[in-house]
Amino acid sequence: MFLHAGYLVWIPLLPLLGALALGTIGPRLRRDDVSLIACGTVAGAFLLALVAFAAVWNGALPSFSAPWFSAGRFQVAGGLTVDRLSAVMLLVVTGVGFLIHVYSTGYMAEDPGYSRFFAYLNLFVGAMLILVLADNLVLLFVGWEGVGLCSYLLIGFWYDDDAKASAGTKAFVVNRVGDFGFGLAVFGLLALYGTVNFGALSSAVSASPPDELLRQGVFAGMHVQGAVTLIALLFVVGVTGKSAQLPLYVWLPDAMAGPTPVSALIHAATMVTAGVYLMCRLSFLFALSPVAMLVVSLVGGGTALFAAAIAFAQNDIKKVLAYSTISQLGYMVLAVGVGAFWAAILHLVTHACFKALLFLGSGSVIHGMHGEQDMRKMGGLRGRLPQTALAFGIGTVAITGVLPFSGFFSKDAILGLALGTGNRLFPWAPWTLYLLGTAAALGTAFYMWRLWMLTFEGTARTEAAAHAHEAPPSMAVPNHVLAFLSIATLALGLPLEGGAPLQRFLSPIFSPATHLLPALSPPHEEGVPWLTYAVALAVAWAGFAAARWLYGSGAPAFGLRPSAGKAGLLRGSGRELPARWAAAFPAGYRFVANKFYVDELYGAVIVAPLWGGAKTLWRVLDAGLVDTVVIRGSAALVKAFSQYVLRPLQNGDAQRYATVMALGAVALLYWVLR
Amino acid sequence: MNIPWLTILIFLPMLGAVGVALLPREEHGQHRAVGLGFMLLTLGAAIAVALEFDPAPFAPEFQLQTNVPWVPSLGIGYHVGIDGIALVLILLTAVLGPLVVLTAWKSVQTQVKEFVIALLVLQTAMLGAFSALDLVLFYVFWEAMLVPMYLLIGVWGSERRIYAAVKFFIYTMAGSLLMLVAILYLYYAAVGPAGRTFDFPEILRLAPGLPLAAQRWLFLAFALSFAIKVPMVPLHTWLPDAHTEAPAAGSVVLAGVLLKMGAFGFLRYAFPLFPDAAAAFRPLVATLAVVGIVYGALMCLAQRDMKRLVAYSSVSHLGFVMLGLSAMTVEGLTGGVYQMLNHGVSTGALFVLVGLLYERRHTRAMADYGGIARAAPALAALWMLVTLASIGLPGTNGFVGEFLILAGSWNSRIGGAPWFAAVGAIGVILGAVYMLWMFQRVFLGPNRKAENQTIADLSGREWTILVPLAALIVVMGVHPQPFLDRIEPSVQRLVDRLGAHHGAEVGTPPPSIDRQELILHPVPTTPYGQPPHLPPQFLRRLQELRRHHP
Repeated sequence: MFLHAGYLVWIPLLPLLGALALGTIGPRLRRDDVSLIACGTVAGAFLLALVAFAAVWNGALPSFSAPWFSAGRFQVAGGLTVDRLSAVMLLVVTGVGFLIHVYSTGYMAEDPGYSRFFAYLNLFVGAMLILVLADNLVLLFVGWEGVGLCSYLLIGFWYDDDAKASAGTKAFVVNRVGDFGFGLAVFGLLALYGTVNFGALSSAVSASPPDELLRQGVFAGMHVQGAVTLIALLFVVGVTGKSAQLPLYVWLPDAMAGPTPVSALIHAATMVTAGVYLMCRLSFLFALSPVAMLVVSLVGGGTALFAAAIAFAQNDIKKVLAYSTISQLGYMVLAVGVGAFWAAILHLVTHACFKALLFLGSGSVIHGMHGEQDMRKMGGLRGRLPQTALAFGIGTVAITGVLPFSGFFSKDAILGLALGTGNRLFPWAPWTLYLLGTAAALGTAFYMWRLWMLTFEGTARTEAAAHAHEAPPSMAVPNHVLAFLSIATLALGLPLEGGAPLQRFLSPIFSPATHLLPALSPPHEEGVPWLTYAVALAVAWAGFAAARWLYGSGAPAFGLRPSAGKAGLLRGSGRELPARWAAAFPAGYRFVANKFYVDELYGAVIVAPLWGGAKTLWRVLDAGLVDTVVIRGSAALVKAFSQYVLRPLQNGDAQRYATVMALGAVALLYWVLR
Repeated sequence: MNIPWLTILIFLPMLGAVGVALLPREEHGQHRAVGLGFMLLTLGAAIAVALEFDPAPFAPEFQLQTNVPWVPSLGIGYHVGIDGIALVLILLTAVLGPLVVLTAWKSVQTQVKEFVIALLVLQTAMLGAFSALDLVLFYVFWEAMLVPMYLLIGVWGSERRIYAAVKFFIYTMAGSLLMLVAILYLYYAAVGPAGRTFDFPEILRLAPGLPLAAQRWLFLAFALSFAIKVPMVPLHTWLPDAHTEAPAAGSVVLAGVLLKMGAFGFLRYAFPLFPDAAAAFRPLVATLAVVGIVYGALMCLAQRDMKRLVAYSSVSHLGFVMLGLSAMTVEGLTGGVYQMLNHGVSTGALFVLVGLLYERRHTRAMADYGGIARAAPALAALWMLVTLASIGLPGTNGFVGEFLILAGSWNSRIGGAPWFAAVGAIGVILGAVYMLWMFQRVFLGPNRKAENQTIADLSGREWTILVPLAALIVVMGVHPQPFLDRIEPSVQRLVDRLGAHHGAEVGTPPPSIDRQELILHPVPTTPYGQPPHLPPQFLRRLQELRRHHP
């Protein structure tokens, strides 16, 4: 049955079977066999993904469906389907996934948990493929939670370290907060439309007028649009968790505790983009609600700038890349918010390539430096790691948006559309979003070139940096392939006549949404926004120039140096300025370096009260009120009653019995004769 | 040929108890082996019952019935029979039986004979309570469960066992006596043409006709008894003590089956007998359920003792069950019953796992562990799986139950239903917090303590206990339909009964937007670059939109 259209089933099933095999008999296999199973299953999934892509290209809609569970009116199918959107995602997940599997065989070669690592990694790919292929929200949620589980397991992969284990738990719990919104949104859709299937939802949404007043069910008294807004906002809560947006982004920087290939695959290229994918899947729903769209765009734009600012003051190479990822995800979310769904997917694809490249490059650096991640202890690595530096450089120009690399087209498509898409309800939105995005682009260029300067330029600042060694071929080759892809994906975003290639390819998917949008948010300006192109280029070069001026040559100074006064904040050589500025504004520097104290804020406002409150509640209510007062109290009452009332009544004294009896007889006589 | 499978099932363990009683006192191995053998035979009988049972929607409500007069002058009969809900609970009981004996194989070394007898008698009482179709018979089985459980806690428990056993007994007894009064009232009040009777199907026909004032009191009497058993907040404080002090095997039965007895009571007696009162008290039940979910989860965060934590997590999980039941929709009730099974499997497994650690290190404090995943990887992996089931990860059984409960509760007709579901869903977040916190405290981080360096991984016997439970977790998560198919007809009947008395008040409302007339068009795909063909109704809609928003 799996032979014909059922080949879809094998796309997620192959990696899942790989995970099962590695998870059970893996520790007894030779390393080469583990590598073969791990990479082979993902390669197989990649080949099948190519078959599916070809089928979609030729106009087919491969799909597979089996009932999963049902009760009452509520039915969930285990249905898989490939359309143009999921075909693109399939290639990204299996392609980048395969490269990172290969890279990991080198990176993890010495690790005692080799087979366990690949079992988790295969499980992740399987879950991610379920997420991408699901034809309904509940099955998508299976993948959604599955990738979250793998993220948890892999962040805490080196679980002997308490900090790493805690980072994993934190990631899971924060994502659960997001899932809370996701779940409620699914229940809301069930109440509104009675289905969770994407195709059926799309038809149902387009068939029900937004201003229809609902007369029954949970949403009675609301308009369809109001209910959809509510549901969409609940989905946004889920998206902020999975795609690390404000205010739930806090888990992603900590997630860097996992092995670097994991950061590349899960926390940059694939899993964290699931939120963006979800919103694109539900584009027809989001497009119905201008309020939800505005919230989405503001969350995205705000996150893009916020995370870029934090990245300025990070010295851990992976932390910089982590905040960079949050910031770039912000761009994708922003794109969704302005209705530029195809641009979100374009940036997703280009980002998957160049950010995976950057993470793998940083992995090669860390590998070469024997585990050192602090950029202050690097420097001059271009000479020691020429191949890594070349690949990393390509990734850097791609992300900073240097013409003509891929990041330029994807980012500027987003910024141009942010400016060009009006909002009927909120006329101030386009400029606000454009400025947020442009400022974040400036920040991106600055922190990435700062990273480059500190790591690869100048002279070696430590022994380790002076003797760093180049990565083995298993790690170098995936780097080169990703570098090639980072360049090649620019073709997807070329602003040709009639739209970018990816835009035209995806237009059937987004046409219900984009046909709905103009009614709600008319285009703001017409024509190709050459101005935004010029601004974007200027911003990219300005960030480079600033980073080169401040960190470009020699050994830059770091941190707070009290000797430097406020004088001469702009004089002298650039490389001394960061330290001088930091010394001039210590509070401001600490505020940024400590990531705006958001973790501390959450700790004080949510975590501590929760644990403290639970302990207090337990002592006061459970052990105190119920057990001591009610239970022991009632027992004491019974005891006291018998001791002080019942026992004196029967103390065996015959005279007292006689007295009581006589008194009783008198009372009785009185009562009868009265 | 008509084999009374149900009666065989109920009394097989009792027969085993008699058999064990006849064995010499010192032969512990024989006691355990005979006990295990009879538990396995019971499981076989349960499978036979399941095969005999007809899950078709229009099959008779109570199947495999046996009805013999017992005390005819008082209208008491030995009347047994099962519906789909009882069937799945019987299966759960029968599956846990052999595993419970295996759990106690090493840890119970004193008075083994009495221990095995207590387990077997308890098994008969539980199977009988699920099967009884006569109120007196039910009450007898119900009370019969109390004594062996009391002994299991009081004799084979840990330090504060007497306190815990007495607390358990008095709590439960207080509730049962009120239920007895209510049963007697029903006997006198619900009288049909055939005269007074304790026969359940007959009373089920008559009781809903009672006036609302009487129904309220009767409902409260039954509900109080069941709510203590569930347990619902604030009647739950016997549970942490009972679980903490009970031997691991006792905890497994207690969490796995006995707690279900309370929820089963609501489904079988309190709701259908007094539908008007059930509708009136539904907001109260739902409120206590969500309070239980959140409160139980918060209590977990305050615990240092693993067993106490798992016990409070039961309060939270049973809150979910009660939330599903109070929704009184097919989805919510089905999910609630399914979650009863899930909780039996996953919390049963958790108590087994905690028991394994206790056997190794003789402490239940999380602080005494840490980092033992390196020494006992298989134990850690299975603990992780059970943790995932407990927090309802999709792909495990817990997800299907929680999802149906929350979906059913969100869409129920109770006032403010989405809020109940939303607050309940907070419990899903907190569940992840306390379960993962426990896992981290016990298994992750550095292994600092010398005595934990060589903690043993799973033995063959322990694998035998855990593999069936792990398999159930996965199978029930991936392929739940066979179970749901058996639950749903019974649940549908209950919803119909409740609905018959309230018209539109109970049951699932249809989706706000009726999509009966919709024709489903897949999103069109066109050759590269061509404009798409839109579904006709979409184009219509678009024109309308353009008209409204020029």
